[in-house]
Amino acid sequence: MKKTKLGEFEELVLLTVVVLQDQAYGVEIKRELEERLRESLSVGSIQSALKRMEEKGFLTSEFGEATQKRGGKRKRIYQATPYAHRVLEEMKDVRAQLWASIPGIATN
Amino acid sequence: MIQPKTPTPPRWSLRLLRLFIRKDFLEEIEGDMEEVFMDEVEQYSYRKARRRYNWQMLRLLRPTLTHNIFNSQKLNYYGMFKHNILVTFRGFKRHKLTFLINLIGLSTGLAASLLIYLWVTDERSVDTFHENNDQLHWVMTHFQLPETMVTWNYTSGKMAENMKADFPEVLDAVRVGNHFFRPRGVMSFEEDNFEISGLFASQNFFDVLSYDLFLGNPETVLSNKETIVISRSLAEKIFGTAEKAMNQTVAWENTLFNKELIVNGVFEDPPTNSTQQFEALINYGVLIDRDPWADRWNGGYAQTYLLMKEGTDMNAFNEKIADYMNIEERSTGRFTVFTRPYASGYLYGEYKEGVLTGGRIQNVQLFTYIAIFILLIACINFMNLSTAQASKKMKEIGVKKAIGAHRYALIFQFLSESVILSVMALALAIGLVSLCLPQFNYITGKTLELSLSNGWGAIISIVLVTGLLAGSYPAFYLSGFKPVAVLKGKIAGLKGEEWIRKGLVVVQFTLSIVFIIGVLVINRQIEFAQNAPLGYDGSHVVKFERKGSQTADPLPMLTELNQIPGVTSAANMAGDFLWGQDSGSGYSWQDGEEDDNHLFKSPKIGFNLIETMRLEMVAGRSFSREFNDDRTKIIINESAVKLMGLDDPVGTKLGYSPTETREIIGVVKDFQYGSMHQEIEPMVIRFREWGRNFLVKIQPGTEVNTLDQIEAVYKKFHPKYDFEASFLMDDYDALYDSEDKVAQLSNYMAAIAILVSCLGLFGLAAFTAERKTKEIGIRKVLGASRVAIMRILSKSFTGTILVAIVLAIPIGYFAAESWLQNFAYSIELSWWIFTLAGILSMLIAWLTVSFQTLKAARVNPVECLRHE
Repeated sequence: MKKTKLGEFEELVLLTVVVLQDQAYGVEIKRELEERLRESLSVGSIQSALKRMEEKGFLTSEFGEATQKRGGKRKRIYQATPYAHRVLEEMKDVRAQLWASIPGIATN
Repeated sequence: MIQPKTPTPPRWSLRLLRLFIRKDFLEEIEGDMEEVFMDEVEQYSYRKARRRYNWQMLRLLRPTLTHNIFNSQKLNYYGMFKHNILVTFRGFKRHKLTFLINLIGLSTGLAASLLIYLWVTDERSVDTFHENNDQLHWVMTHFQLPETMVTWNYTSGKMAENMKADFPEVLDAVRVGNHFFRPRGVMSFEEDNFEISGLFASQNFFDVLSYDLFLGNPETVLSNKETIVISRSLAEKIFGTAEKAMNQTVAWENTLFNKELIVNGVFEDPPTNSTQQFEALINYGVLIDRDPWADRWNGGYAQTYLLMKEGTDMNAFNEKIADYMNIEERSTGRFTVFTRPYASGYLYGEYKEGVLTGGRIQNVQLFTYIAIFILLIACINFMNLSTAQASKKMKEIGVKKAIGAHRYALIFQFLSESVILSVMALALAIGLVSLCLPQFNYITGKTLELSLSNGWGAIISIVLVTGLLAGSYPAFYLSGFKPVAVLKGKIAGLKGEEWIRKGLVVVQFTLSIVFIIGVLVINRQIEFAQNAPLGYDGSHVVKFERKGSQTADPLPMLTELNQIPGVTSAANMAGDFLWGQDSGSGYSWQDGEEDDNHLFKSPKIGFNLIETMRLEMVAGRSFSREFNDDRTKIIINESAVKLMGLDDPVGTKLGYSPTETREIIGVVKDFQYGSMHQEIEPMVIRFREWGRNFLVKIQPGTEVNTLDQIEAVYKKFHPKYDFEASFLMDDYDALYDSEDKVAQLSNYMAAIAILVSCLGLFGLAAFTAERKTKEIGIRKVLGASRVAIMRILSKSFTGTILVAIVLAIPIGYFAAESWLQNFAYSIELSWWIFTLAGILSMLIAWLTVSFQTLKAARVNPVECLRHE
């Protein structure tokens, strides 16, 4: 757990990647997150989160198809690594345990 | 907001993105950006989408996505760069002489080129300030004469409106009065009089040409014949401010009309790089009222400028209009109409037999070459001195290579050294230029200035090119040394190196000697033209023009002038004596034959002019009051006698028209009419009593006093006008003004070229002497005299310069020969010019080298043999 260092925003992006499956590329992730968070995000923030996570080994990626709308440039489809899945699980557990440990909730 | 068919993201933003984003992310991110952009174009306005794209772009600039400028790999470059600069400056410090020679040479060369660059750009900018310069064309005509074809830049006044109506590609057409038909005279307001020069113009003048209307309604200015538009400086001169000038009435009495006019507009003064200069504009209709020929097909009164549709094929258009004048009611079928780009007239203005032969462009080219050559000479200095000092750098190169320096790193080092030097030279050159600019402006008659607006980009690129050129040879040569050989002290290919060095010196001196030859020839020719026998005596002849109304009898003024004690003789004529263009045809000297088409040079003179100018009569008599001579009498020159083949010319009557004849009353000896650019041609001197140009010969020594009295007489007859007189021979000299400028400029440029070459030679001599120190020491110990030492040291230079002389003479000969082609009468290119140039360059070279050789020869052998 010590070494993972997954930021809050990164975690959201990572989860979105998992959700979107084979549709997980930059703009789609941006759309999905914007909808869920109800705020607008910049291409830069998404992209830098993706690149950072790729470097840390949470994501792998490969080129997908190119579309007219993208001016003929290929998409890059991201996929979460097993390691990422494990880290996400761990985080979820830690959070759940913490929630469970809040005294007010526990007694009610 | 109208949407273009394919929305595109902002260009600069896209460029920024491509520049900064890491290459391996670029495709993905660019695609993402584009997709988002396309979504947003649908969602918002095109403009907003572009704005948002820019914003998104800026937010992409974060360290994870951009390539890192400060990453450790690049730091190495910075270190190398720092090291190079350090080594460069250490080098400068250690080899002070070389450094100074290079710096002085390069900065002088750069300064000379900068001056020329300023001048050339200024020359090229003339008349290009019109907004639609690309679409602006000037209608010209070739006119076929029996033996020759002349080219005019003026046309019929009808041309403009007819062309506009006939050709759809002509968007608009302007006509203005040509240079013969410009109103020049005195404008009066209340008690003040101002002499001004105006221009007749059609109403659309301001629409088509980019002269700015400062005050006044563009719709109404120039729309009628009772109003006038004046320049801002004139308005300020007359009325104090431009605003006060509006709606005032001024009186204008000039060569063509005398009228009261209401000022209904003020325009900004034409820029200095406009060839058309005028202080007032008036409707062209005024000229038509004065002279109906101004609006007829067979009157050449107007200049016609066309505004063409964008992208018109001018060659095709010229084919279409070639025969535009050759319609029955228009002319006699001897015209060829064509157009040229409006602004090109200044540089390409000379036509011979209907073919463009050049014009000022020749000077522009000449000086461009001179600038390039001077820079080349300065660069050669740098190359020579750096390769000469190669031996000193060898250890450095060897060590660097041995510890793993790439060849490219070394090339980069040497190039940066030369670029640093040339940047330093630029700083010095800019100082020099600002020092010399006033003098340079005085010579060229321009008002150039070194300001931010005139092309720093070009100047910087000149510097970079200079630096790279100068550094290229040493960089590639020195960096190619083999480290092992160098460190062992073996220097490969010294022989070849010496050859190249000598070759470069030969190039330098060849150029310098060509310059010397050019300067000698130009100066000789100008001196020749100004002192050649002209066939008349123009000394002490004062020339002035009577102004105002054209119909004033010159006799009373002539009589009064003749009464002044200091006046030897006074006369008048129509047209300028020095103009040399007045010509006429229609004389026939043989019965029945079609020989009346020869175009004679044909000045129109009054009584007493031949005597005043001391023209020599070969036969017959000159025009005289006693014989009551009139227009039916003519005098011809010897060339005309020869042309007509008359045995006894005096008394011969030439046919002039079916009803008229012209009687030859005298033959005058050939004389030069106009400048030496023209040949002496057959001439028919016509008689005009009413000429406006006065020529007054005064007694030598009484100039000041007599001129005052002439002025008094002039003022009596022309109270409103200033007396503007000049000496005829001063005006004659001014005919060679452009050559004079070329001569003066080339004198300076040649001096600079020679100076820079000598600097290089000086440096090389110093180097040779230094390298031969030991040899000199040993020779001296063994008893060699100083003279012997000096001979040894200067021997190789003498050979080099001799080769340069041999090369330069033919080049100089052809260059001088082609320049002299511009003159009808020119000096012979005699051998002594080339000999002199050769001897001069040899002397200069020896003098330069002798400083060093003398120093070397005088050295005490102990000094140079002590260290080992």
